[in-house]
Amino acid sequence: MIDCLCLVQEGQGPDRQRTALAGALDAFAREQFGVGLQARWVPVAPGYGFTAGAPSSSSVVSLAAPEPLTQDRREAALRALVALWTEHTGCSVDEIVAVVADPVTH
Amino acid sequence: MPLYICNTRKGALDAHARAAIAQDITDIHCDVTGAPPIFVHAAFFEESAGFPLDDKALYVRGTIRKGRSDGQKEEIAQRIVQSLTRHGGVDDSSAAAQIRETPASWVLEGGEIMPEPGEEAAWFEAHKAARSEAPS
Repeated sequence: MIDCLCLVQEGQGPDRQRTALAGALDAFAREQFGVGLQARWVPVAPGYGFTAGAPSSSSVVSLAAPEPLTQDRREAALRALVALWTEHTGCSVDEIVAVVADPVTH
Repeated sequence: MPLYICNTRKGALDAHARAAIAQDITDIHCDVTGAPPIFVHAAFFEESAGFPLDDKALYVRGTIRKGRSDGQKEEIAQRIVQSLTRHGGVDDSSAAAQIRETPASWVLEGGEIMPEPGEEAAWFEAHKAARSEAPS
């Protein structure tokens, strides 16, 4: 199961559509990596999120793949992730920061 | 990216202080790295279990693109601590900043893979060209 951090601005589209997004994210992970995904929602309260020093409308979605990825595969996963996010939330590509990392090794 | 997470004790920062620190973080990051302000995100939380606070009143964890020098990372952290103490009304021992790195190639922002440090101008040109070609 992949842990996916979803940092969202409270009260905006991604925050209001958690159920649909969680399902879409899980389907995305199963298709891309063959495993399920658990979304960890972290809402940013109004007045607590900034981009370029101004109030932010951006979300950050960050996960680690279950295995190291080639850049082609990573970019395909990133684009699929952003596509599902913008489709479900109506936000623009300028309002989503997506991260697909390699597995954490200690 | 970068993303700066500021975790604080409850009530440690009012709205004015949060805005001032967010602006400082943006200015510091851009001054030290030359990155454009639009890349700089900052989010504040109060005693969030998901982010470090340790024994501090104010703790910033910044995740920046890999490739900056140790001196740059140290300067960013030091100047952020100065901002925290100035706007948060605490002394150095109650504030901390930590900088972590992630490869630019792992991040997609503005619809494009993030540029490597120093390649931002070319990235913005490509970004503008892609937008102008996109169907409206």
